[in-house]
Amino acid sequence: MPLRFEDDFLKKLEYLHVVSKRAFAGQNRADRLAPKRGRGLEFADHRGYSAGDDFRHIDWKAYKRLGRLLLRLFDEEQDLPIYLFVDCSHSMREAGKFDQARRIAAALCYIGLAHLDRVTILPFDAELGDETQPGRGKGRIFRVFELLERMETEGATDLREVFTDFASRTRQQGLAVVISDFLDPHGFETGLKLISSMGHDTFVVHVAAASDADPGALGEVRFVDAETGELRDVDVTPALARAYGDAWRAHTEELQRFCGRYSLGYVRADADAPFDDIILQTFRKGRFLA
Amino acid sequence: MSFGAMAAWQALLLIAAAAAAAVAIFRMKLRPPRVQVPSLLLWRRVFDHARELTWWEKVRRAVSLVATALIAVLLALAVTRPGPRRGQASEGRVLIVLDSSWSMAARTKSGETRWQRAVRQARSLAASAAGDVALATTADGLVEGPTSDTALLETAIDRLRPSGGDSAAWPRVPGTDRVYFITDGAVARALDPGVIVQSVFEAAGNAAIVAFGARPSLGGGGTGEAYVQVANYAPVGRAVRLIVSRGQAVLSDQRADMAAGEAVSAVVPLAATGSARLVARIETEDDALAEDNEAVAWIEGVDAVNVSVVSENPSTIGALLQQDPSLQVVFVKPAEYKPATGGIVIFDRWLPPQTPTQPALCIAPPASVWLGEPGANEPGARWIAGGTHPVIAGVDPLTIDVKRVRGYSGPDLTTLAASEKGTPLISVMDRPDRRVVVWSFSPADSNLASAPAFPVLFGNTIEWLARPSFGVLRHAGPVELPASTARLVSPDGLPVPVVKSGDRAVARLTSPGLYLVEAGGARGVIGVNVGDPDVSNLSRSSLTSTATAHVAAGGAGWPYWMWAVGVGLVLAATEWWTWQRRVTV
Repeated sequence: MPLRFEDDFLKKLEYLHVVSKRAFAGQNRADRLAPKRGRGLEFADHRGYSAGDDFRHIDWKAYKRLGRLLLRLFDEEQDLPIYLFVDCSHSMREAGKFDQARRIAAALCYIGLAHLDRVTILPFDAELGDETQPGRGKGRIFRVFELLERMETEGATDLREVFTDFASRTRQQGLAVVISDFLDPHGFETGLKLISSMGHDTFVVHVAAASDADPGALGEVRFVDAETGELRDVDVTPALARAYGDAWRAHTEELQRFCGRYSLGYVRADADAPFDDIILQTFRKGRFLA
Repeated sequence: MSFGAMAAWQALLLIAAAAAAAVAIFRMKLRPPRVQVPSLLLWRRVFDHARELTWWEKVRRAVSLVATALIAVLLALAVTRPGPRRGQASEGRVLIVLDSSWSMAARTKSGETRWQRAVRQARSLAASAAGDVALATTADGLVEGPTSDTALLETAIDRLRPSGGDSAAWPRVPGTDRVYFITDGAVARALDPGVIVQSVFEAAGNAAIVAFGARPSLGGGGTGEAYVQVANYAPVGRAVRLIVSRGQAVLSDQRADMAAGEAVSAVVPLAATGSARLVARIETEDDALAEDNEAVAWIEGVDAVNVSVVSENPSTIGALLQQDPSLQVVFVKPAEYKPATGGIVIFDRWLPPQTPTQPALCIAPPASVWLGEPGANEPGARWIAGGTHPVIAGVDPLTIDVKRVRGYSGPDLTTLAASEKGTPLISVMDRPDRRVVVWSFSPADSNLASAPAFPVLFGNTIEWLARPSFGVLRHAGPVELPASTARLVSPDGLPVPVVKSGDRAVARLTSPGLYLVEAGGARGVIGVNVGDPDVSNLSRSSLTSTATAHVAAGGAGWPYWMWAVGVGLVLAATEWWTWQRRVTV
C-alpha cells in the first residue's frame, strides 16, 4: 500500500506535537523541556557555587547585592525518545487494520520528526523485529514511508515476548506507542505491564475492524485463525454470534480498563474510520496529541 | 397401498434406500465454508463459557434430520406411483376392458368424468392383480399386455381417451381367468357370461345436437338447407342457444327453452355459394358432456373446382360445363397446353406426352406411354350393364348409343363399363399419385351429347376426380377408404395413420370434426359427429337391469404421487427457509 500524505495534511500535522505526561532526558538539543538544568535560554533557578562550577554562570549582580556566590541555572531543552511499536502479526491483515496501523505510525513519526524528536520504529509479531531510527527532521519522513510500505504481516502476536526483548536492550526512557489489535493469545496484560514498568510513558492505540466484532458468518463454518492457522468447525447460531459480539465488547472494555488502571493512554482507531479524523480528532481528544 | 410404477418390494426398497441416503448425506457433514478470523481467542472464550441450550436447540438437529429423511421418502414415494389398494388380489391372468364410447367423457356430480372413474378403477384392478394383466378398450381392442409390468400398463392407461368407435370386436386374450368390463352402459353390448361388469354410470343432465346435415331444399326455394336437431336429456328444462355457421358467417343464432326430454329441430336455408363447411353449436349450462355440443357438416359440390379443357373443338363439353356455377372452366388448345396444379383437366381426343399432375378425364384418348393405347374399332357398341362405382352410378346405359368405339386399355386402368363384346367403354386409374377416367368414345361418336345419361356421367366423373364423396357424416371409429388414399388429415391438422391392405385402406377416426382425405390429387371430406341419442342421453344405461358392481366416486383430486411431490416440495422449501435462518440445521 503506498503511504503518502497530502501536503495540507502534513502541514496540519506539523502544528501538532506528541504529549508526554513526563519529561524525559534526551540526547540532543531540541524543543522539549528536559528534567535537568542545562544550557537553555530560559532562566530556571539559582544555586550556591561549588568548586569547579563554570565561572561564566556566576550571577555577579546577586553577589554584589547579597555577597554570596550564586550560580544561574537554565532549563535544558532536549529531544524526546518516541518508540513506535507496530503490530505486524497476521491478525492485523484482516479488514485493513494493518494499513490503518501503518498510516497512524507514519503520522506520529512525522509529528515526532517535525519536532526533532528521536523516533524509533519497532515492528513486532511474536518477537521484536529490527528497529529503525530514521534520524531527525521531517525530511526523513520518506524513509519512514518506504520502511512502512515494505512491512508485511507475519506470525502471531506475543506482547510479553516482544517487551521482554525490548527491556533487554539498553534504552532511554521515553514515550512508547503500541499500535496493535491486542488479539494476543497469551493476553495483552503481561506485555503492557512490562513496558509500563520500564518507566516509559506508554500509549495504546487499539486498531479494530468491524469484522473483529462480527465475522458475519452464520451456519456451519470452518474458522481459520489468521495467526496460527488453527481450524475450528463451528455452527454459528444467532445466539452464538451474539455471544461472540458480547465477548468482543468485553475484550475492548477490558483493554480500556487495564489502560486506565495502569495510567496508560488509550485510543481506539477503527480500521474503517477516516484516517484524518483519527489523527486530528480522536488522538487529540485522547490527549495524545496537542 | 399399491404401487403403480413397480412391484411393492421394489417400491419399499426404493423408499428405504432414499431415506437411508438422505440420512447418510445429512450425517456426512458437508465441508463447511472457510472463514478466516483474526484470532480464535475470543471464540474460544465463547465456547468455554458454558451456556444452557434451549429446548429447540436441543431437538432442532433431530427435527432437521427427520424432515430431510421425510422429504426423501416422499419424493421416492412419488416415483413409485402409489395408489389405494381396493378389493382382493386377483389370481391368474386378468383382462380389463374399458368402455371408450363418448358417453364416458360425461362429468359426474363429484367433478370427475366417468372415464376418469373408470381409469382409476382400472389402475386399482391392475395393481391388485397377482398375475399378468391385459388392457383393452371397446374402440381399440387390446392396447397392452398381457404383462406384469405395471409401468407399461400405467403408460397405456395414461394414453387412452374416450374415442367413440363402438364397432370394434370384443377383445379376447387367451388364458384369461377373469375379465373386467368397466362401462357406463350407454351402449348395450352382448357380453360373455363370465365378464365382470363394473359400472361407472351416474345419471347426468345433458343437451346435445343429435342430428345435423345439409340436404337439397325440400321446398324448392334456394339451393339447399341445413337441418339440425337438438335434444335435452336432462330431467329438468333448460335454455339452449343454438348457433349455425357456414365458414365464418353465422347463419342462425337462436335460443330455445327446452323442456325435459324435449327435442327441437331447426332448418336453415343455404345459399348457392359460400363455404362448404357447416358448424352447429349449442350453449347451455350444467351440461355433462361437451363433445356433443358441436356438430359439423359438409355441403358437397359447393366448393369451386378449376377445370381445364384441352380440346380443338370443346363445344359439346363446354356447353355442359358452363351449366355448373361451381366449375371455373378454361379452354386450351392442345398446342398451348401446359401442365398445372389444382383442379382437374379434360383431354378431348388428345394426350400430352408427360403424365399430367392433375386428375384427368381423357375422352377417346390416343395411344400414350403413361396411360395406354386404343384397341380395335367396334362399331355400334352397346353398353348394357350399369355399375356401383361413383363414376357410373346412376348412369342409364340403355339411353346411350355408341356408334363407334376403340376400346382403351392400359396397365393401371380398371374397366368400369364395357360393351357386349367386352370392349372397355369407361375405365379408371386410381392411384395415390394419379386419378384418371377414360371414356373410350367421344360425344361425337355417340349420342352422348343428347342422352339423359350424359350429364350424370359427366357430373359423376367431375365429382370423382375433383371432390369425391367419402360419406360426409360418420361416427368415430374405423373407416374404410379407397386404396388410392394418399393422406388423411385430422380436424387438428395432424396426419392420421392410414393402413393399406390390398384394394382398400383403413384409418381410425378418433375425434369429432372434419377430416380431409386426399386420393390421387382429389380431395374429399369426412365429418365425424358425436351426437347420438345412445351417447348423449346420459340419464339412461343398459346396466340397470344387469348385476354390476358400482365404482364409487373417488373425487377429482390429485393422485397420491402428486400429493407426495407437493408435500415433499413444501417440506423442502420450509426446511430450506428455516435453515437459511438457522432455525433448523
